[in-house]
Amino acid sequence: MDPTYLDYAATTPVREEVLAAMAPYLSGIFGNPSSVHAWGRQAENALELARAELAESLGAAPSEVTFVRGGTESDNLALFGWCGAQRARGEVPTIAISAVEHHAVLEATEHVEHQGLAKSMRIGVTADGRVAVDDIRRALAAGPTLVSVMWVNNESGMVLPIGEIADIVSDAGGTLHSDVAQAVGKVLVDVREVPADLLSGTGHKIYAPKGTGFLFVRDGTPLAPQLHGGGQERGLRPGTQDVAGAVGLATAVRLAVAEREAEGTRLTALRDRLESDLLGALDCIRVNAGEALRAPHILSLGVAGIEDGSALIMALDLEGVAVSGGSACTSGSAEASHVMGALYGEDDPFATVRFSLGKDTTAEHLQRAVEATVTVVGRMRAA
Amino acid sequence: MSRVLVAMSGGVDSSVAAAILVEAGHDVIGVTMKTFCYSDTPSHGKTCCGLDGITDAKRVAGALGIPHYVFDVEEDFTRDVVDDFVHEYAQGRTPNPCVRCNGNTKFRDLMRRGRALGCDRIASGHYVRAAHDETGTSLLRGRDHAKDQAYFLWGLPRELLPRLAFPVGELTKDEVRARARSLELVTADKPESQEICFVPTGDYRDLLRKRLGTHPALEAGSIVTSSGDVVGEHAGYAGFTVGQRKGLGGGSPEPLFVLEIRAESREVVVGTHDELFRDEVQVGEVNWLTDQPPVGAAVRVQLRSRAPAVTATVEAAGDELTVSLWDPQAAVTPGQSAVFFDGDRLLGGGRIIAARITAAGGSGTAS
Repeated sequence: MDPTYLDYAATTPVREEVLAAMAPYLSGIFGNPSSVHAWGRQAENALELARAELAESLGAAPSEVTFVRGGTESDNLALFGWCGAQRARGEVPTIAISAVEHHAVLEATEHVEHQGLAKSMRIGVTADGRVAVDDIRRALAAGPTLVSVMWVNNESGMVLPIGEIADIVSDAGGTLHSDVAQAVGKVLVDVREVPADLLSGTGHKIYAPKGTGFLFVRDGTPLAPQLHGGGQERGLRPGTQDVAGAVGLATAVRLAVAEREAEGTRLTALRDRLESDLLGALDCIRVNAGEALRAPHILSLGVAGIEDGSALIMALDLEGVAVSGGSACTSGSAEASHVMGALYGEDDPFATVRFSLGKDTTAEHLQRAVEATVTVVGRMRAA
Repeated sequence: MSRVLVAMSGGVDSSVAAAILVEAGHDVIGVTMKTFCYSDTPSHGKTCCGLDGITDAKRVAGALGIPHYVFDVEEDFTRDVVDDFVHEYAQGRTPNPCVRCNGNTKFRDLMRRGRALGCDRIASGHYVRAAHDETGTSLLRGRDHAKDQAYFLWGLPRELLPRLAFPVGELTKDEVRARARSLELVTADKPESQEICFVPTGDYRDLLRKRLGTHPALEAGSIVTSSGDVVGEHAGYAGFTVGQRKGLGGGSPEPLFVLEIRAESREVVVGTHDELFRDEVQVGEVNWLTDQPPVGAAVRVQLRSRAPAVTATVEAAGDELTVSLWDPQAAVTPGQSAVFFDGDRLLGGGRIIAARITAAGGSGTAS
């Protein structure tokens, strides 16, 4: 049986163009970009070209792009960095995050609050993709506020109304952070269109290596570094830069953005077909966030009549179909997803299975996924 | 298709169990049960079933080329095993959580989840043997009597027996280690786990304090003799078990042992070694893995995990039963198991509710 990978929202392979772009910087052009000599200058040139390339893909200025080591680091730097800068001004600010944020934002916020660096608030999100703007306004009225709302939710594929939120935050003089890990290359992410202040992105969801990422910091947004060392990345993220990684990331972002519309159309058609085939073959299933605007690459399914969603993922694996429960982050944990809890309530009886599509996904893969899901769900319901 | 789920703790026994099944050509799936959250206890890196156990099990499964999954059973385990453990100590009894886990949690969960994965058999690294004949399946003590673990399995649901496999039950521990070494399994020389998996600090009283808070079981009480004389004070009866030698200071003429724990009055009763003996044992929560022996039948009963079985007569039978020991035994401990055998064959067992002495001038009951 051909293995069927439908977990591109968890991670992706490095694409050939990215690998080719990186290759010269892994051994041939190896200099430290901070060095004075020719080796260093070559590396620095590559790094700054990558920065400019990435910035252009987002509609940003090169000075607004900081290279970091992945999405979690980027989220943490945004939240802790912003709190640190507020603290320097003697403020105890508010962080208001949506109820469906990634753990990197959720846990960082809890930690910030635990340390007494900020108060925190939750912004309600409904299954049809509406965000409680009153919650946001209430937070903004409380004083200096960082609002953090992800652009595309990783578990459900829901696209959150960042444009609307950005206007509200911007009008009130607040700061908006958005995790764009699942958004870049899937929906239009352009900082000229949306006045977000901080964006956290990662490479490995878009065919760049794991451990690559960026933080967009709009000029004038105060941020305190969280690591201390050699002053690289304008002091915001010290540590010798991963030049090859930066080049790979910039290449991946450029390609993802360039291919967004065509690939989005292709994936939407595939995803819709998968969705209708599953709805036709199984009863008692639900498309999570089905009424909301959704990114093209994710289908999150709620399956009723199954006691244990993690067993469904394992059983599909044994059928050669790789999918996730909600996110891929915890080691076999049966802990209920906070995202589905926020959208459908804590006692929601549906188990979640997330299919996520990518550049190598074909109709045949999806046909196999449907067959395997029907087999496995049937067996589990009979058990 | 015969697909076997093998419970891999990350120890050498279950590693070799998995290897034997793979060699025999079965479609094998390894699982490790995540039983308890260790996040607020310091890591000592030794215990099975913990996250280190998961890592080792994954490495072995990878080397054997089989899938491996983690089953998060923390909720069931906490309710059925940890809460029971705490409750038993609070009542002045001495629980046996491994018995409880095997009988109530581990194999039931494995079977239920295994079915979802298309598995019709469950295997583990226990040193017992499953014998199949025309009367059904019964469990026999492991070939290596020094490592035999039949005592821990009396609580299994009988209907599961035909679906169980214990590949190392025919081997000695030395053979298991040799097998693991020849396969270059990472767990080959891993030390035995000794402590209770959810008490990694080795002191169960820490867990009791955490889960009970303020409770009479953890408050000071009197140490009394069987005739009622107060001879000292203790810091909480949950720290005692029947049969435990109790140093009282003050130079008593002969060593004293805990005879009984009286939860209602918080008294720990002590006496001489002679006073420890009991010959009638009341057993509750009885579970049979074979047909129930009739009243009057002679059986062998094992009263401690490392004690030899002794002969007894079944006096009254049912969900609770009473057995008379042919020879009085020391330190028959409420909360521990009474496990019945016919030779090597495991018949069943139950929890010891109480024991008393009927012959030869003993004193009182342990209840």
